[in-house]
Amino acid sequence: MSGLVAYLDPGSGSMILQAIVGGVAAAAVVGKLYWRRFLGFLRIRKNDDR
Amino acid sequence: MIATERVADPSALPAELAESRVAAVLRHERVPFVSYPYEWTFGMLRDAALLELDLLLDALDEGLVLKDASPYNVQWRGTRPVFVDVGSFERLREGEPWAGYRQFCTLVLYPLLLQAYKGVPFQPWLRGSLEGIQPAEMRRLMGFRDRFRRGVLTNVILHARLEDRYADRDARRELRQAGFHAELIRANARKLRKLVRGLRWDAGRTAWSGYGEANPYDEADAAAKEEFVRSAAGARRSRLLWDLGCNDGRYTRIAAAEADYAVAVDADAGVVEALYRALRDEGAGTILPLVGDVADPSPGLGWRGEERRPLADRGRPDSVLCLALVHHVALSANVPLRELLDWLAGLDTALVIEFPTRDDPMVKRLLDRKGPGANPDYETETFERALGERWRIERREPLPSGTRILYRALPPS
Repeated sequence: MSGLVAYLDPGSGSMILQAIVGGVAAAAVVGKLYWRRFLGFLRIRKNDDR
Repeated sequence: MIATERVADPSALPAELAESRVAAVLRHERVPFVSYPYEWTFGMLRDAALLELDLLLDALDEGLVLKDASPYNVQWRGTRPVFVDVGSFERLREGEPWAGYRQFCTLVLYPLLLQAYKGVPFQPWLRGSLEGIQPAEMRRLMGFRDRFRRGVLTNVILHARLEDRYADRDARRELRQAGFHAELIRANARKLRKLVRGLRWDAGRTAWSGYGEANPYDEADAAAKEEFVRSAAGARRSRLLWDLGCNDGRYTRIAAAEADYAVAVDADAGVVEALYRALRDEGAGTILPLVGDVADPSPGLGWRGEERRPLADRGRPDSVLCLALVHHVALSANVPLRELLDWLAGLDTALVIEFPTRDDPMVKRLLDRKGPGANPDYETETFERALGERWRIERREPLPSGTRILYRALPPS
């Protein structure tokens, strides 16, 4: 196998899934992930309004 | 893990290695015979998966991670899986998920689920694509009821959906900012280990499982065959033995006692699985059971067809057993006898070969299905002449039933 760093595409969906299936420990991460996205979403809405 | 040592004095190395700028040079022990996941049984892929997950968990304890999860990184010493890719370990970067998870799904977990839940052999899928089964494909293979089976909802359905939705996003940064940590990798690896441990495949009664008891020839034939194989093997110790059409491994075991290493091949994954489990439970270290068909052997695959090699390119045997094989290749696969013998002669090895005559019940059954006049070249005289043209026949012995003949043949030189 190649010695390059990150020679394998981990896949974005596959990475997100790992946060979701982690049980209780994952809940906080997932909550934060989607909360941040939600805030981003609001900001975009705000920008759009202006 | 494969035994590995650091070469202290690089000047003793071949010039091209010693001159290149490398941080360190490692030397590995050699794997006796290279094999690929599409030649393994369910139990072998499952044990290889457990080895990878155990190594991942151990690596996490040391602040390391496996950067991939290719089952091609696992080889075998007999029935013991050996992880061969030392370069797969890298330092764990805080906040990053396991990069190998997707590969673990496509090349290891999905093939196992396919066989355990649907009863579909995974070998043709892995041989069909070196990338394995993609999440979206696997989702389509799962029926409504399969969604409720262990591991499917998350590792297949949700995985496929997220992959679809996040195709153009960089999740790495988002996850790090959200506080992803190594404990989540650990939790996921533990769950995967539990899932894989719980997977079962019941081989059932496949074509030849139980062939050993139900075969039409009697115990006298089997005893004579054992004696023949034992004496042939005892005449000269071999380095690498191939048993083609090994069935339950009864004769492999006898011949392997006089060989450094033996590769036992059969087209029926059910009998190979039974052999693997038996050998593994005994802790046997010199017989490697593989699924393979002489009439449809592993091809060269990948880049230039050279990443994965055909069987014969991975180590030539110096001794070959072909028991209860010739009639299947000649009559079921319609390979002319001379073609089969030409191929075997190309291996340039000592040979023990069994020829079931046209009077043999099994041969009759195969011929009856085809109608009168089928395979006219399938005659004892034709076979013997062709064998004699390519080998020096050392011993010829009809079995007590009178419908099978054993030959021990040596290369003419």
